[in-house]
Amino acid sequence: MKFGGTSLANAPRMKNAARIILRYSPKNKIVVVASAVGETTDQLIQIAELAKKGNLQQARKLLSKIQASHLKIARMVAGRGETRELVSRLDQLNSELEQTVEGIAHLRELTSRSRDYLLSFGERLSTPILAATMSAMGLRSRALTGAEAGITTDDNFGEAKPLTEISYHQVHQRLDPLWGRRIIPVVTGFIAATVDGSITTLGRGGSDYTATLLAAALGADEIWIWTDVDGLMTADPRIVKNAIPLPYISFGEALELSYFGAKMMHPRALQPAGQKKIPVRIKNSSRPARSGTLVSASESSNGGKVVKAVSIIRDVGIVTVSGSGMMGAPGVAAKVFQTLGSNNVNVMMISQGSSEATISSVVANREVDRAVRALQLALMGQGYVDRIVAEKDACIIAVVGSGMKGTPGVAARIFTAVAKRKLNVRMVAQGSSEYNVSFVVSHKDGPEAVRAIHEEFNLGR
Amino acid sequence: MRIILAGFGTVGQALAQVLHQDADRIVKAYGFRPQVTTIVDSQGSCSDDAGLDISLALKTKKDYGTVAKYPRKGRRNSDSAHIISNSEAEVVVETTPTNFKDAEPGLSNIKTALANGKHVVTTNKGPLALAMPALLELANHRKRQLRFSGTVGGGTPFLDFAAKCMPGERIIRVRGILNGTTNYILTRMETASLTFERALAEAQKKGYAEKDPTNDVEGLDTAAKIVIIANWVLKKRYSLRNLDITGITKVTQQKLKQAKTSNAKVKLIGRIEESSASIAPEQVPTADPICVPDTLNALTFTTEHAGDITLIGPGAGGERTASAIVRDLVSIRQEYAA
Ligand SMILES: NC(=O)c1ccc[n+]([C@@H]2O[C@H](COP(=O)([O-])OP(=O)(O)OC[C@H]3O[C@@H](n4cnc5c(N)ncnc54)[C@H](OP(=O)(O)O)[C@@H]3O)[C@@H](O)[C@H]2O)c1
Repeated sequence: MKFGGTSLANAPRMKNAARIILRYSPKNKIVVVASAVGETTDQLIQIAELAKKGNLQQARKLLSKIQASHLKIARMVAGRGETRELVSRLDQLNSELEQTVEGIAHLRELTSRSRDYLLSFGERLSTPILAATMSAMGLRSRALTGAEAGITTDDNFGEAKPLTEISYHQVHQRLDPLWGRRIIPVVTGFIAATVDGSITTLGRGGSDYTATLLAAALGADEIWIWTDVDGLMTADPRIVKNAIPLPYISFGEALELSYFGAKMMHPRALQPAGQKKIPVRIKNSSRPARSGTLVSASESSNGGKVVKAVSIIRDVGIVTVSGSGMMGAPGVAAKVFQTLGSNNVNVMMISQGSSEATISSVVANREVDRAVRALQLALMGQGYVDRIVAEKDACIIAVVGSGMKGTPGVAARIFTAVAKRKLNVRMVAQGSSEYNVSFVVSHKDGPEAVRAIHEEFNLGR
Repeated sequence: MRIILAGFGTVGQALAQVLHQDADRIVKAYGFRPQVTTIVDSQGSCSDDAGLDISLALKTKKDYGTVAKYPRKGRRNSDSAHIISNSEAEVVVETTPTNFKDAEPGLSNIKTALANGKHVVTTNKGPLALAMPALLELANHRKRQLRFSGTVGGGTPFLDFAAKCMPGERIIRVRGILNGTTNYILTRMETASLTFERALAEAQKKGYAEKDPTNDVEGLDTAAKIVIIANWVLKKRYSLRNLDITGITKVTQQKLKQAKTSNAKVKLIGRIEESSASIAPEQVPTADPICVPDTLNALTFTTEHAGDITLIGPGAGGERTASAIVRDLVSIRQEYAA
């Protein structure tokens, strides 16, 4: 079971999380993975930036805010006999944290290694509090760091890659004995360590990744991700009033949705679960009785629906390279993507005109100018490209469902539905997978396009 | 090349002997001088950064039972993992006793060595049986070599044969006899009509079986070798708990006779198939090339295009195993010529 930051944001929620664990503990062997409390990680990032600039005063201010909020929760959740021990543990962590921040401020340097070390305090503070909350309810528990639980990574600080075989082996070695003594391990999400014990963070995928890694190591039956929504929705409920949670989706569909911006686990985090075919359940910690969304290896359980969900990525732009000379010139497309790649521009979607005279790429708004500059430098003035234009403020609409594979006419239905509402499709993705059709419309047309498709395929209730 | 010897029993001492005798030949032929800088046994250790005097170490072990008594440089410290992490040697040779419960102290020794950037040669199968995928991953991550020629077949290069002589060929299946002790027991049960217990007692008297024969007769030793072959040759991520293991303790005269009537013998066979691996006594036709007697080992590789290829040869033994370690040291030196 993994609990996200919002599910642990204050004392009542912390208690709620412990109650959920208590409720399922008699019949299950549980490992708990905890994120940092509320917004702690973001605050730590801010502190790091302040310290790097030498602004120790501001950094300290923010630090004491973090310290105060953790102590406040701790005092409210711990059992009578245990408050003192918990508080002294937090005090110790807090003074380590202060020293780290001072170190960064003195050197005015923030290496990715020290950044990871600093960020680790978020989870290192939250886990003992959750463990104490559980003890107060009579559950035996033990707070462990990811490293103590056995997760070992390479030394790519900031986005470390787990050494899976070593990790799997060690997780067994470390956690089996705890279970044997009926102790529930409470493991820090997001953080791990290198072979020689330097703290690393798992980067994108974060605590979810920790949960799926532990589950894969232990051969878990299910992974439960406790969050603040009822599961994965058919569409963003702020756009579509009658959007509903999806009861089932496959790993393939989940990957598409997470790629296309749904509030969903990162593909990296899904991987260990997908590989070992361990179902992932996404549930709302404030409404635990609801069944949430089950992500599993099965593709059949789609309730007869061709399309499952429609998602939207906002704030993207289209960069189009064109030139009549491009038709005969081989390798222009390769050059475009190579140029964008080496300038760290992430291409989310592509399309090539059938005449081969244009190539369009969809990138984030903030990367549009960089993309244009890089492409101009690389391609203009050589005879075959004569125009590079950019349009900002568009959005990608992605329609996802494994039932689309082998069902003819889905794309036609999608585009007819959009056209009926007089929305202008700017670009259609090429080579979308068999699980999705995606296209681009202007920023203001985005929500209406989502509603059109949601309605056309009857996704709501 | 500076070497730590973790374990100084039959194999460790045989290796010391070989390194001592062949030092000049090895320098000439391969351009490096293996220097033993630390030796650890169960009661202590001795260390000399300039290289230990091997004959003195062997004599000390013989006279006092432990290298802790090595003049001036001996100590009562036998915490091998700790000693490894504080040493500057480049290679650890791990020859402590095999155990299949937690594989210690070998597992910690190998992990510590690799984590500290040292190459490892092991004859101890325990750590590989329980954690081979993890140890290979660690070695790969640290860009160090983990070698284990001495774990399977002793002097008969089953592992190198498959890995080096058959590139491009796909090995589909492997089956064979990988444990000399049990093969000897089964042979004697058959030829001299002995019960299992009598045959075991005889094997122990001859020094083929250990005082505690569990690992051999329960099939664990064979299973460990199957794990090693599966990981190394067939790239399967197996460990001991993925295998079905039956030993030979329940083999009766009746079963042997039954086999005889169909021109077969009962052998302890380890096998790796497409998606499973197992160890059990099986009837093997006498005409099958792996139907070898006494302490011999035999292994058939079934390949996609080249058909069945069988290797037969002697299995374990102190000196043979030492020669496999030297092979491993040479290949470490060759890959890291510097
Ligand atoms: N013998 C063979 O033919 C052969 C062939 C292939 C593989 N192997 C494997 O190679 C390994 C060594 O075999 P062997 O026949 O040499 O065994 P051995 O004679 O029993 O030697 C084991 C050595 O390890 C030492 N040792 C035990 N516990 C230790 C500890 N906690 N820390 C440090 N050292 C410790 C022993 O110390 P003491 O001397 O103080 O007891 C002894 O020197 C085994 O794993 C075996 O399975 C053996």
